Amino acid sequence: MTLAETLLPLAVLVPLGVGALLLGFAHWLTPRVADVASVTVAGFVAVLCAWLAREATGGAIVHWFGGWSPAVSGRPDVVLGIAFSADVASAAIAAFCGLLFAAAFMFAWSYFDEVNSHFHVLMLLFLAAMVGFCLTRDLFDLFVWFELMSIAAYALTAYPLGPSALDGAFNFTIVNSVASFMMLAGVGLLYARSGSLDYLLIGRTVGHAGADPVVLGGFCLIAVALLTKGACVPFHFWLADAHSVAPSPVSVIFSGVMVSVALFGLSKLVVLVFGGNPDILDLVRGALIWIGAATAVIGALTAWTQRHLKRLLAFSTIAHLGIMLTGVATAGGIGQAGLLLYLVGHGLVKGSLFMVAGMLLALRGSADEIDLYGKAKRLWPVGVTMALAGLLLGGLPVGLLHGGSHLLDRAVERSPLVHAAQVLATALTGAAVLRAALRIFAGISGAPGPERNGITEREHEKNVRPVWLMLTPAALLVLLVLMPSSVGERLARLGAGALVGRPAVAAVEPAGMLAQLLPVTLTLVILAGALLRRRPVRRAGRALVTAERLPFGGLGVLHSGLVGDYVAWAVLGLAGLSVASAWL
Amino acid sequence: MNVLPWIVAAWLFGIGLYGIVTSRNYVHLIGCLSVCQSATYVLLLGIGFVWGSKPPVFYDHPPGTPAVDPILHALVLTDIVVGAAVTALLLAIALQVQKRRGTIDPRRLRPMRDPE
Repeated sequence: MTLAETLLPLAVLVPLGVGALLLGFAHWLTPRVADVASVTVAGFVAVLCAWLAREATGGAIVHWFGGWSPAVSGRPDVVLGIAFSADVASAAIAAFCGLLFAAAFMFAWSYFDEVNSHFHVLMLLFLAAMVGFCLTRDLFDLFVWFELMSIAAYALTAYPLGPSALDGAFNFTIVNSVASFMMLAGVGLLYARSGSLDYLLIGRTVGHAGADPVVLGGFCLIAVALLTKGACVPFHFWLADAHSVAPSPVSVIFSGVMVSVALFGLSKLVVLVFGGNPDILDLVRGALIWIGAATAVIGALTAWTQRHLKRLLAFSTIAHLGIMLTGVATAGGIGQAGLLLYLVGHGLVKGSLFMVAGMLLALRGSADEIDLYGKAKRLWPVGVTMALAGLLLGGLPVGLLHGGSHLLDRAVERSPLVHAAQVLATALTGAAVLRAALRIFAGISGAPGPERNGITEREHEKNVRPVWLMLTPAALLVLLVLMPSSVGERLARLGAGALVGRPAVAAVEPAGMLAQLLPVTLTLVILAGALLRRRPVRRAGRALVTAERLPFGGLGVLHSGLVGDYVAWAVLGLAGLSVASAWL
Repeated sequence: MNVLPWIVAAWLFGIGLYGIVTSRNYVHLIGCLSVCQSATYVLLLGIGFVWGSKPPVFYDHPPGTPAVDPILHALVLTDIVVGAAVTALLLAIALQVQKRRGTIDPRRLRPMRDPE
């Protein structure tokens, strides 16, 4: 075994082990020890996985646990063991998880002192689960990491024990548990056909299965589970409830990586397991792409009508997940590359924005953009960070996020409607963030539009750390996004190539000036519309406002906060996908 | 393979979901979730079952004799552990909700929306 193969399991073992140690000694350690240990472990995972990604350029690094490699059984078509397989893309995404966790731990420095490092233990468990989810090559192992990730996330959401946090955590747990049952059933169906849990062996069986209903059913169930975790319409309802009530350092991880890693998992399965089956690829290309477009538009429109900053960001995450799903749905190399780059860029920006929301909750005791009107002018460095993040979210043509969205544009260039949905979602979410930033940090705003009727809540977070300590990770994350997109694009093409079994995905030509500036221009136009808005005094103006309220109000009614409704929508979605699988 | 386990699994999943959608009590809702989960157990055991075969313990009969698939048993066992953890967590949340709000009716407990 090479050194890389030997060290591969450490990416999961170290966070798990340190988490267990912290839990064991929780009552004796001073709180700083837990903070230092967690940041170190997250940093270690990031460095190790980045090194693994570099080592994997020549071919995936595979570690068979306990030495149970196929060679042991003597027959290459019988796999008894469970493997971790680090290709460039998986290792890079795992490294990104480590990086974002390190930033979140820094941001949460001394915030969770009174709970005896339990926060750190749960977060380390969460990190290990995410890394395992990225690296595993075994379908049931994937399910176990998926569950571990979910359980850590449920507990972290319910953590503040406030009424909203408990309700949000409850909805989150129920919806995601139903999803995980679907996933397990799907794993069972695929095992029933292939007699194996190894990605590549299942892939071989699935490739010859044709339109076998058992395989199609397995795909639908697994896809719905991952789409629920990845918050795509109509499985997305839990996300806004959970992300807006979780403590801010946790929301950073939720919106930054947890949900998008689920979509990365889906794209990996689509390529490695289901890639050989034309019937399933038809379903992916014909149905998932429209789910993605719908998610982008609905998420963006709902984000625009929010006044509670964390809820606004949560819906913007939904919109961006929709954009990522369109990349998954192309099931091609460029779409994969776009997904990888967009995932990283979006995670950095969104992590930073949730930190800004956390700072406002700590320093100004609210996250409501209308309540906070002009109240944070003295925190201008925070405002600059937020405005920069908003501009990047709205399609400013520099940096990693732009590189990702350019690749995704290219991947869907044959469907102009999907492309239009991408641009609209980018512009609306960017404009919503900029609107809030201007209102809070500069006191500039028009009359409140549909956001005035958004859901809000009085809440605050403890103010226990200096401003610079909170601002540094937020600013660093945004600065990382500004890395030249050409570097990111090269890496993403390399990573996507490793997934689809080629050295690298072919380069795409750069977009024209007009296409590059289109989203950010649209963002500024929408923002200007919001700033110029005045209270209607004439009858025509009032009629217009009433007419506007109807569709936005309808979106609000759909997001009812009732867990029964959410599960009903999820079942409807599963039924829809199954019908589509028979039809397409 | 017999079709009965598939029907039972689908039925259990269906009524579990029906219970979750219509429930007016968190504890009842958690029970319904467990019913849904039982559907996956039945499905997995049904997949691994082989008529006329023995348990996959080769202590008193020679290796090579037909046995039911032990991998699916391992899956079910793992799932039971996970299910226990989730149920415990949910019940703890329900307990806290009852303590803080005095009700566990989902219709009166909606995140960030004041109870009517």
